[in-house]
Amino acid sequence: MSDDLLSVQGVTRRYVLPRRTLLSTPPVLAAVENVGFELSAGQTLGIVGESGSGKSTLARMVMGFERPDTGKILFKGRDIHGLSTGDLRRARRNFQMVFQDPFGSLDPRRRVGWSIAEPLRAMGETDNDNRVGRALEQVGLQASQAGRFPHEFSGGQRQRIAIARAIITRPSLLVADEAVSALDVSVQAQILNLLMDLQDDLGLAMLFISHDLAVVSSICDTLLVMQAGQVLEAGTVNDVLGAPKHDYTRALLAAARVGGVASP
Amino acid sequence: MIALHNLTVRTTGGHVAVRGADLAIQPGQRLGVVGESGSGKTLLALSMIGMVPEGLQVDGQVLVKGETIAADDERAWRRHRARTMAMIFQEPMAALNPLVRVGDTVAEPLRLHLGLDRAAARKRALDLFEETGIPQARRRLGQYPHELSGGQRQRVLIALALACDPDLLIADEPTTALDAQVALRITDLLVRLSQDRQMALMFISHDLAAVSRTTHDIVVMYGGDIVERGQTVRVLSDPAHPYTQGLLAARPSLMHRERRLPTIPGTVPQLFALPPGCRFAGRCARELPQCVGTRPPVVATPTGQAACHLPGAGQT
Amino acid sequence: MNARLPVNILIGAALVAVVMFAALLSAIWTPYPYAGIDVANKFAAPSGAHWLGTDQLGRDLVSQLMAAAGNSMGVAVVAVGIGCSIGTALGLLAAAKGGWIEELIMRLSDLGFAFPALLFAIMLAAAFGPSLSMVVIAIAFINIPTFARVTRAAANQIWRREYVFAARAAGMSTFAISRDHILPNIAAPVIVQATIEFAVAILVEAALSYLGLGAQPPEPSWGRMLAEAQTLMYLAPQLAVWPGLCIVTAVLGFGLLGDGLRDISDPRLARRRPA
Repeated sequence: MSDDLLSVQGVTRRYVLPRRTLLSTPPVLAAVENVGFELSAGQTLGIVGESGSGKSTLARMVMGFERPDTGKILFKGRDIHGLSTGDLRRARRNFQMVFQDPFGSLDPRRRVGWSIAEPLRAMGETDNDNRVGRALEQVGLQASQAGRFPHEFSGGQRQRIAIARAIITRPSLLVADEAVSALDVSVQAQILNLLMDLQDDLGLAMLFISHDLAVVSSICDTLLVMQAGQVLEAGTVNDVLGAPKHDYTRALLAAARVGGVASP
Repeated sequence: MIALHNLTVRTTGGHVAVRGADLAIQPGQRLGVVGESGSGKTLLALSMIGMVPEGLQVDGQVLVKGETIAADDERAWRRHRARTMAMIFQEPMAALNPLVRVGDTVAEPLRLHLGLDRAAARKRALDLFEETGIPQARRRLGQYPHELSGGQRQRVLIALALACDPDLLIADEPTTALDAQVALRITDLLVRLSQDRQMALMFISHDLAAVSRTTHDIVVMYGGDIVERGQTVRVLSDPAHPYTQGLLAARPSLMHRERRLPTIPGTVPQLFALPPGCRFAGRCARELPQCVGTRPPVVATPTGQAACHLPGAGQT
Repeated sequence: MNARLPVNILIGAALVAVVMFAALLSAIWTPYPYAGIDVANKFAAPSGAHWLGTDQLGRDLVSQLMAAAGNSMGVAVVAVGIGCSIGTALGLLAAAKGGWIEELIMRLSDLGFAFPALLFAIMLAAAFGPSLSMVVIAIAFINIPTFARVTRAAANQIWRREYVFAARAAGMSTFAISRDHILPNIAAPVIVQATIEFAVAILVEAALSYLGLGAQPPEPSWGRMLAEAQTLMYLAPQLAVWPGLCIVTAVLGFGLLGDGLRDISDPRLARRRPA
């Protein structure tokens, strides 16, 4: 267990909802219920589930934005929710995140180079050897584009910029929350390939969250299927796809199948 | 039943959003329209119901049951809307008035268009709710949109669209906002309704999987052009146009898990940056010199038709 | 989108420009010293020497109005500046911290709102003696809750944006996020509010000076000029008309400018206006 980069142990997160009537006890929603998994360096774990399955709550807890009610999240053996605010901020150089909406995740008033350098500034570093330019080239853009504004880029290019920002501190874990869901199919494949290339080059581990089973299975080694806060199935992608144990997983499979093309 | 001849839609800036589309829908036909953002698929659908947004210029001919209707002939369109064709949209919450009970939403057009009295309209609304598989239909009639789930809301909108027994139901990305399981049931419902009622269905989506399980025929759009058409199963298993081929290959597949996905280079171009000939020029792997400047002819393919200078089996 | 600027902005900006120009010019030049008494020339009619004539002590009216404009603008700039800075900082803090800090700041703002501004100014004048500095403090104080509210509401919107979430994920501190992302993105509503508060500040300064709680003789002020002219209403009504006109011009100018800026910064409002 000590060689695990990320270890999530029996994590539960519940939300107290507004009471329905004045005297009733407020209902409690278990967003994540007793979830655990391990992720080694360089590996990719996929989490599949619908909206409301708890997968995004899980991502926010791994990123340290939300505190689990019970359970622990260890990053390199350290409980990230046991860190002080300052230590957690400094630890963020090691785990970064890519978001779903390529149009919302970049400040429209800032040049993209400024946004990409943000994690460096957060760590108190300066971009003295043109790391922004190199990060742009790593994601398939040109260093000279750092001076442009987000609206000058297409959705796919913006997602590349968001990825450049996420890798500039050389993290060992990348959390991708629906990172290709908003993209057109032809662009989606480019971004998935880019993530796989970066993973090979930088030895990144990835937590890849999506509602699309086909997307997840194309990029991941192991898979977690979640529904209503609980893990339904876990295992290697081949195991889960080859012998789905749960109706829900079978429905996901059916939804992702293109008739006559890839009928498993 | 409804036919488009050489339909072109231009933006205020003169950019062509749909270029010379020909399309005919037969009674009972289930037709899928596939395309990425900016392909013109939604404008194509809106032009079939006379609802192209103001400011856009529509040229060409729209024939509804043999009658030519001008794009701005609002009175003629109103005669046909709901009766000849009805439409449902991606976001069911946005299409429902939050302050009106869903039963009244469906009953209202029945009284208005069909002249039913209150009781008869309510009875008919209940029938429609049951037909569209809304559980506990009687109770749901009195509920407000926010009390229903996303799938139930979409069913309410389908019931509303069916109110005046249309000959054609146009569904624009009806499953995109829904979870996979719910989406499966909605596409099943659309197929069943189409078969039971002998109603044509135009199913617009970027989701190849959803189109493949819903439709019999398919039209693939790119950059405002219809680039390929044919039987859904055959086109998707043996596409002839390089764009269709690229799109299918780029889609992550559950079976063939290569380490890298084949991609279509570049991005979907903006309307003002479309090449004048083949819209796919510049991204195409089989590009010929004439592709950039000359609009490709529509040619027969083993699986249907394609608009391409060099159709055929791809390397993928 | 119509590229043409709305009419209210153009008119507002023109009026503001006139007042501002007079105010700035008065700092280096007025036709006569504003307090220069020339009893031989009292109640002089407009002429080449005195464009708008002189008052009961023979002081040049144009010079007084210009110097008063300088005072009025000065009070408004300093007071709104202080109120805006403190209020915006508090609003940013409330939005960034949330929880009990936000509650506390907003409840204190409610308290400030409930307190009549004139009453506060009268209390200050009673305690420390009437002067323009007291007017500045009073106006600054009543501006703090206004800006705190506007800022917090706008900042809370921006805090929900994904790029702010991304900045947090990058490890930025709340302070750095407030400075780099929140402030630039809420600048528009704050500037609009400041313009409107400018109009209010000019009016309040005039009112307080009229009541004798602001500018003290011989300091020039439109409000004080009005008060002095009041006793001479039947003898020389023009002495009351000109300062009154100045107040209207300045308040209307900033009001129109603020309204217009709000319209273009919030397209939803602008669209609702008939074309």
